[in-house]
Amino acid sequence: MSIMKLLSIAARAKVVTRRYPFEPPVVTEGFRGKIEVDPKLCWGCGVCTRICPPNALTLKKREDGTLVLSYFMGRCIFCGMCAEVCPRGAITVTKEFELASLTAEDLVRNVKHDVVRCRICGRVIGPAVEMREATKSVGGAEAKYYDLCPECRKLVVARGIMTKVGVRP
Amino acid sequence: MSGDSSKLLAKALTRLKRSIWVFHLNTGSCNGCDIEVLDALTPYFDVERFGIKLVGSPRHADVFLMTGPVTRETLPKVLRAIESMPRPRLILALGSCACGGGIWWDTYSTIGGYGKLKEILEKRGVVVDRVAYVPGCPVRPEAIIYGVLVLLGAVKQKVKHEEVKAGG
Ligand code: SF4
Ligand code: SF4
Ligand code: SF4
Repeated sequence: MSIMKLLSIAARAKVVTRRYPFEPPVVTEGFRGKIEVDPKLCWGCGVCTRICPPNALTLKKREDGTLVLSYFMGRCIFCGMCAEVCPRGAITVTKEFELASLTAEDLVRNVKHDVVRCRICGRVIGPAVEMREATKSVGGAEAKYYDLCPECRKLVVARGIMTKVGVRP
Repeated sequence: MSGDSSKLLAKALTRLKRSIWVFHLNTGSCNGCDIEVLDALTPYFDVERFGIKLVGSPRHADVFLMTGPVTRETLPKVLRAIESMPRPRLILALGSCACGGGIWWDTYSTIGGYGKLKEILEKRGVVVDRVAYVPGCPVRPEAIIYGVLVLLGAVKQKVKHEEVKAGG
């Protein structure tokens, strides 16, 4: 290509270079950036961790008994599937992409959940918020069993029935 | 990093301000991130306006730009390339694959990104002066530019570790 031809193309195209970082970036409507988990809404159910393709969202049990929903941005592929499946609508997909960081720890966001333990055997049953809300929606006679693990619940119910029919447990 | 070497790094970084030369290595990426690197070089983003340019040999490079989760096949070549870089060794881990293994985080044929590579480098006694993780799948050209700025200390990173308590 001769230089004249090149110059005429350049004159037609004019300057296309974007001035970023000195001007705001062009972010389209469909762009997906990092996700944001709303700690007020999250139940700690872990549905999002099951759907997350690269396991960027994980639900970990700590030694002190708390459950931690951990989001590692460094592995997220920004697919937005977690936001789609979350039953609480706790996850929003933001348009934030300036996520560069000098350490991997800075790319981690944790949401800490208290847990409910079985009132008889002390085993962890599930996250406190989820248990509380689920009990509200069930209500009635079921509610008094909610702080029991499945094993202990079976025992308690069986004992109740036996007492009712007059068999000594 | 000891205080001494961080001082040296700061000094080295002031010398780097003129222009940085980048060696780009695909360590087994899907090519998505590599296309975005190319994008950053096109007239639209034109990183050469900052003096950033790609070089063909790690011996000439200031920054080692890696894309991909480091497959077992590429690992020896990646190590050789990093080892042949002069100090200060700066690494830009581009994309979710390079940052944390991405979609290939648990496959048998990849080591799982820079996190694992770091351990291997430490075991071999290879000093890396600074790393910047740039998440994205693929990374936007703007995110690459931002990542370079963070790596060189021109801007302060926005993200930080957070732990909040759930309550509803
Ligand atoms: S799916 Fe929603 S409510 Fe359940 S753990 Fe994930 S963010 Fe929390
Ligand atoms: S956006 Fe996709 S990859 Fe990222 S946390 Fe959600 S499900 Fe996982
Ligand atoms: S981060 Fe995504 S686009 Fe980049 S190499 Fe990995 S899979 Fe491909």
